[in-house]
Amino acid sequence: MNSIWLHPELSDEIMKDEEIFNRTPSIILDIVAQKLDITKLVENMGKVLTNSEATNRLKGMRFFTKILKEMPKNYLTEIQVNFISKFYIDRLKDHHSIIPAVLDGYSAIIEMVNYKMENCGEFLVALFREVSCQSQVRQDRYNIYLIIKTLMEKNLDYMKNLGPDFVYGVISAIEGERDPRNLMFLFNFLPHFISNIPLGHLNDEMFDVVSCYYPIDFYPSSDDPAAVTRQDLAKALAPCLCATPSFGEQCLILLIEKLDSSLRLAKIDSLHLLRETCATFKPESYAPFLKTLWASIHRELTNKSDDELRMAAHEALSSLVKNISVTVNTDQAFENFVKGIIISMQTAIAEATTLAQFTQATRVLLTTANASKESCIIVTNSMIPATIAYYSFNNTPKLQHAAIEFLGDMYDIAKYWKATQELASQLDEIPQLCLTAVSQTSKEFQIAGLKTLIRVLPVLKSDLIVPFVEVLIHNVKHAQDNDLLSVSVEAVHAIAMKYPEEIMSLVLKGKCDLEHLTEDKVGLDKRLNLLCNLASIDEFTKIIVEEMLTIITKNKDDADKVVKALSASISNTSLYSQEKVTQIESDYGLVDSVIIWLLKEIADTTAPESLAHGYSLVATTISNLPEAKQIAILDKHTQNILERCKEDEVYFLMLESLYNSLHQSVHNSSFHEVMMLALNLSLRSEQEIIRSTACILIAHFLNKAEYGAKFEVLYETLKTYLSSCNKENIDSMCVRLISLYGWITKALILRGSDMFLFWLQKIMVALLNPECCSEGAKAIKLILSYSPDCLTDKQHCRISLLYRQRMFQTFAQLTEKLSNMDKRVKEAYLLSWAYILEKAPKSVLNSEAFKIAPLVIESLEHDHQDLLLVMVDILCHIIQSNQVVIAGSLQTILPRLVKLSTYVKSMDVRIKSLQCLYEIANVYSTTLLLPHKQDMLLDLAPSLDDKKRLVRNMAVRARTRWYLIGAPGEAKEN
Amino acid sequence: MAKVADNINPLIYEKRSEREVTSTDRDEDVADDFDEREIFDMIRNINDPEHPLTLEDLRVVEEGNIIINNKENSVHVRFTPTIPHCSMATLIGLSIRVQLLRALPSRFKVTVTVSEGSHASEHAVNKQLADKERVAAALENNNLVQIINQCISTALAG
Repeated sequence: MNSIWLHPELSDEIMKDEEIFNRTPSIILDIVAQKLDITKLVENMGKVLTNSEATNRLKGMRFFTKILKEMPKNYLTEIQVNFISKFYIDRLKDHHSIIPAVLDGYSAIIEMVNYKMENCGEFLVALFREVSCQSQVRQDRYNIYLIIKTLMEKNLDYMKNLGPDFVYGVISAIEGERDPRNLMFLFNFLPHFISNIPLGHLNDEMFDVVSCYYPIDFYPSSDDPAAVTRQDLAKALAPCLCATPSFGEQCLILLIEKLDSSLRLAKIDSLHLLRETCATFKPESYAPFLKTLWASIHRELTNKSDDELRMAAHEALSSLVKNISVTVNTDQAFENFVKGIIISMQTAIAEATTLAQFTQATRVLLTTANASKESCIIVTNSMIPATIAYYSFNNTPKLQHAAIEFLGDMYDIAKYWKATQELASQLDEIPQLCLTAVSQTSKEFQIAGLKTLIRVLPVLKSDLIVPFVEVLIHNVKHAQDNDLLSVSVEAVHAIAMKYPEEIMSLVLKGKCDLEHLTEDKVGLDKRLNLLCNLASIDEFTKIIVEEMLTIITKNKDDADKVVKALSASISNTSLYSQEKVTQIESDYGLVDSVIIWLLKEIADTTAPESLAHGYSLVATTISNLPEAKQIAILDKHTQNILERCKEDEVYFLMLESLYNSLHQSVHNSSFHEVMMLALNLSLRSEQEIIRSTACILIAHFLNKAEYGAKFEVLYETLKTYLSSCNKENIDSMCVRLISLYGWITKALILRGSDMFLFWLQKIMVALLNPECCSEGAKAIKLILSYSPDCLTDKQHCRISLLYRQRMFQTFAQLTEKLSNMDKRVKEAYLLSWAYILEKAPKSVLNSEAFKIAPLVIESLEHDHQDLLLVMVDILCHIIQSNQVVIAGSLQTILPRLVKLSTYVKSMDVRIKSLQCLYEIANVYSTTLLLPHKQDMLLDLAPSLDDKKRLVRNMAVRARTRWYLIGAPGEAKEN
Repeated sequence: MAKVADNINPLIYEKRSEREVTSTDRDEDVADDFDEREIFDMIRNINDPEHPLTLEDLRVVEEGNIIINNKENSVHVRFTPTIPHCSMATLIGLSIRVQLLRALPSRFKVTVTVSEGSHASEHAVNKQLADKERVAAALENNNLVQIINQCISTALAG
């Protein structure tokens, strides 16, 4: 084959025919296959490369550049690359139209493996001399920047030695760049350049070139698909301005000037820039400007309405303090600066009349203290005495509370900086003040004091324990308020952790004397609550639990109160860890004692409520035990209780408390018998509570049993039993069966098993039958509702995450083809939907709005309170997410909602429907709403005089919002 | 440059907490009468025309300055301009009036006046606010309605 590039005619071909450009890959192949030498190729191109017509030379250069770009990067030898580089450098002097091709080609040459850095000096000199960068088009400017960047990446040391001429060249090349994309590239590259290349006497020039963009004032054109935003540019520019410490003075002068500008964006950018500078600039750079800086930052910190600005000011202050705090030992400036802050903030605090003003000032101090250990020490040292004094001077309760809280905040920061040792003398004052607050009679003071006390507990000295305990125990015994009670208990707990012995003697042997615990009946509940709480601390466990168990086993009268308190405390996992419960159980036999007590009480027919506490105590304890222990307890008690169950079904409740919190792997021989008993009771017991407990136990079994033999056996038992029941066909059983189906479905869908579908279909049959449709709806509700007592992960049940979504999908499929329903059935059907939608994740509601909206709109016509409440709520949600479905049916929806706004039976329905009307006015476009405006204003008037205030409030919101529709001054875009 | 506000640096006061919902509020069978607090809640969040602050922040309106009589169907609101020569007093009064007209049932007769002794031209302002026809005429003016609506619209957010 005789290709044209093997002959000098190539030149003519390039000039004549663009087609040849598409054949470069074949040329490359020939070169690589050594059929053609590159020198020969250049010779063949000679005529076009040296043509007297600039357009022809351009074609030649483009062709050559294309070949170089496609050539393998490692093919050319060093001599060849040098030669070509020389040629290209020479071409820079050529006609301006050829420059783009030259630049393009040279960036390909740089990439070559054998490119020697020595060539680039010459290239750059020629480039800066011959080519005026800013008169090139955007892409070529970009290529120039790219070449510089690539060269720097290739060999930084060589570039450093190029000297001021190179820097000057770069400065003049970028000066005046205006394209946002190129600027983005430059801003990203320049910090690297500035921080690595010595700028020498061109430092100021460099800064000027960059700083002229500051602050960025740029708005992308609206039709730009991938616009560079102002934010991007501003964010990229800041690092350029503070890339080297030598910019310090100029940069700070600039940013101080802009901080004082009236433009909000300039201020925010300056504050962000100040934050950035703190990472590179030396503390000395700031010294002359500290006063001015603080004045400007202070002004923004006290800004009343602009949160973003205030946040930026806080960040800037924090970085500044952190930066200059390293000079604490060498220079007075830092200390003076922080003291200046403290003085201005003390003035602000002294003048504060509202909580907002007070917290604004203290927040500045906290930011300062948070910035470094040094500043923390200065701030805390002067602010703790000041705040304590402030507390006694001021007599506005709200501010005093805030002052106490502020002390706690300062302590936390001191702890974070590990400065508690240095600050000990100041910090020690805090508990004393807490005591003053706690000794007040007002509940708010006590709570504020106790909360701070709990935070600063490590510095509580032992001499304050007695007075604190005095107040706390008084609270525990007599407080009526739940908040105060719980915080008091928490405080005693905290003190007990630090001073167990003192609390032991003061509380257990003094105020709440264990041995005579039950003699005083007043406030026994509350004392028991405290003791159970304390029992979770190791030092107290033995003495308290033993005493309580004695009461349970011996003292008949107060045992139920003890059981109740224990049950409440043990179920609190933050107090009692699993290990702790296991330890208590194995050391003191908690379950055994409670079971003995329960057996005795059941025989005495005690009130069911106190028995319930016993059951839940047993269940919680068992749920915390490891598997082996669970099995041991079951083995010990099952037979006995099963026997008793045969005589009286009440004992079944106890059986359930033993079995419902087992681990998934626990299994023993009695399971079958227990299951049969549960099935039997779930359908045949006459007591509601026993039936539902039995259902729960069945659900737990089905949910936990491992797939395989165990599950099969269980499932078979269930099915056989139910089919035997069907033969009996008793009417009263129908309701109970549906409820059992509900539980079974719930257990199966929770574990993610597909078998739930079978049972759900059974429920569907019930739902569509006018006789028992409401029972069907109830079963659906049961499946979706959550209860802390059954099928939770604490009871070791399997819970698949998306079961509510799955229920939604399945129910939608099952009901797709339904039509022509009886009125009663229709209502139950909608009600079931309501239960499902209520619990379905909001994202589903949004994506399925088209399916849901017709159901919701139809429900608005049914006079059923529960149904309406849920559906109007969902309608509200759909409206808020601005769904078009609703927009289309406003004509139907508005009158229905107006009718519901006077719904007599429930104020919640009235409130919700008014809220819907408000949301509609808020969300949809004026053109849609305006036709309805006058009617709505009239229709909403009666609700303004509703007899319930809460309804009126919502009516006011809705009506005043509708007044604004299409009126001047409405802040809506469409 | 916009006109400089009359009172550049007003005092800002503490906001009151939201009204607590009591058990009687939730009771369907008890009828709640209108009370001072309810009227106050309707107007507390109206924006001051000059500042991004509410009338409550500036203590222009206070619960103590509202009188309501459910039997005689009358509501009387007195408001206190921040400074005696406030040029916005009429506008504030008008905003309060408009908000109450929209938010109260029509059975109430609403009177809005400047608190005694709190404004230089107290009498003139009161007269303007009491004159039904002047109020109606003012509401025909689009520019005025726009400003009033802007002041009121923030009241909804609360």
